[in-house]
Amino acid sequence: MKIGQALKVIDEGWVRKRKGFRVHYQRKIGGQVETEYTPGVEDAALDSDVAAWRTAWKLQQATLEENTEFGEGRTINIYVVDDEGNPIPYYKTNEFKVYNQSPTEGDADA
Amino acid sequence: MENEYAKMEQLRDILALHGPELALGLIILIVGLYLAKFLTKYVRIGIQKLTSNTNVISIVSNTFYILFLFFVIMSAATEVGFQAKIIFRFLIVVSLVAIGIIILFRPYIPSLPFKVGNTVKVGDLLGKVEATTFLNTRLKTFDGKTVFVPNRQILDDIVINYHFTKTRRIKVDVQVRYDQDILQVKRLMESIMIADPRVKKTPRPVVYTLALEDSWVKMGGRCWVDNAKFWFTRCDLIEKVKYGFDNEGIRFAFPQVDVHHHDSEEMIEFPEEESFS
Repeated sequence: MKIGQALKVIDEGWVRKRKGFRVHYQRKIGGQVETEYTPGVEDAALDSDVAAWRTAWKLQQATLEENTEFGEGRTINIYVVDDEGNPIPYYKTNEFKVYNQSPTEGDADA
Repeated sequence: MENEYAKMEQLRDILALHGPELALGLIILIVGLYLAKFLTKYVRIGIQKLTSNTNVISIVSNTFYILFLFFVIMSAATEVGFQAKIIFRFLIVVSLVAIGIIILFRPYIPSLPFKVGNTVKVGDLLGKVEATTFLNTRLKTFDGKTVFVPNRQILDDIVINYHFTKTRRIKVDVQVRYDQDILQVKRLMESIMIADPRVKKTPRPVVYTLALEDSWVKMGGRCWVDNAKFWFTRCDLIEKVKYGFDNEGIRFAFPQVDVHHHDSEEMIEFPEEESFS
């Protein structure tokens, strides 16, 4: 195997280079749980997971509420996903982290 | 005395005869110059809405300014009494001579090593070039200061133009203790660099063992990114290396000194000092 091919195998198998990051969150609007992303799926994703986690934290800080019931308009399950929609570990702890975690009906991600 | 009196009489006659035309010509020239600057500003704004190419904007607005100036000079000269055809030919000749001189001597005229919009470092000054004139260059630093740098100083100094190359290399240097696993350090730093989407695949990110120093092993991560993303990527990588080290238990090194303490009951005798009395 040539070195170029070997490097390609290593790139695909060892460390996956993600193409972008988005902040995933959910809100209850009109009784329905809506999943949204920032930036939107039509927009270009963030190229920094550090920036994405910072945005997620700010969103959590802006939407903190004492009432833990998942009420109308409340923002929950805030975390960072990659370009394929998969949650990524928080770089600080290397573990998955969810801000404002709250179970929702029929939501496997929560 | 009589000669001077005669000259003054002559001047008075000329002014009496041609005074109104001279005055009108002067007014046309002055108003025309102000109008040329004013209109050129709006032409530049208009072109900027159509294109972001600074060369095109500069060429079109400067051409408009020169043509308008031609028109103003011709109008003023015609009003004074000169023939329009002669003025036109004179201006064409002057323009051609000026262009010829510029083309001939251009290789010998020192030019600034950057364009408007480039990010440059001149001496200790780091900023974006906002404008260049014949005498100085206007730089805006990243903390908001506007600095006017004489072009002579720029030509005599070392200038770094960050726009010349599209990519730039990031250095992430760390010092780790001697008792740490440097292979683990290399793997971690390399995976952090590879995983970042802004880091280029080629040249590949690499981690080197740079030096075995007094208090630490110096490791250096090197990777390449686009020029525009250099600063944020560098800061993010440093942050992730710090947290990655914390998560994997890799310890940073700090300057340290070994102190050797001897337990001994024997007194150490110092030689007596010489007396100079």
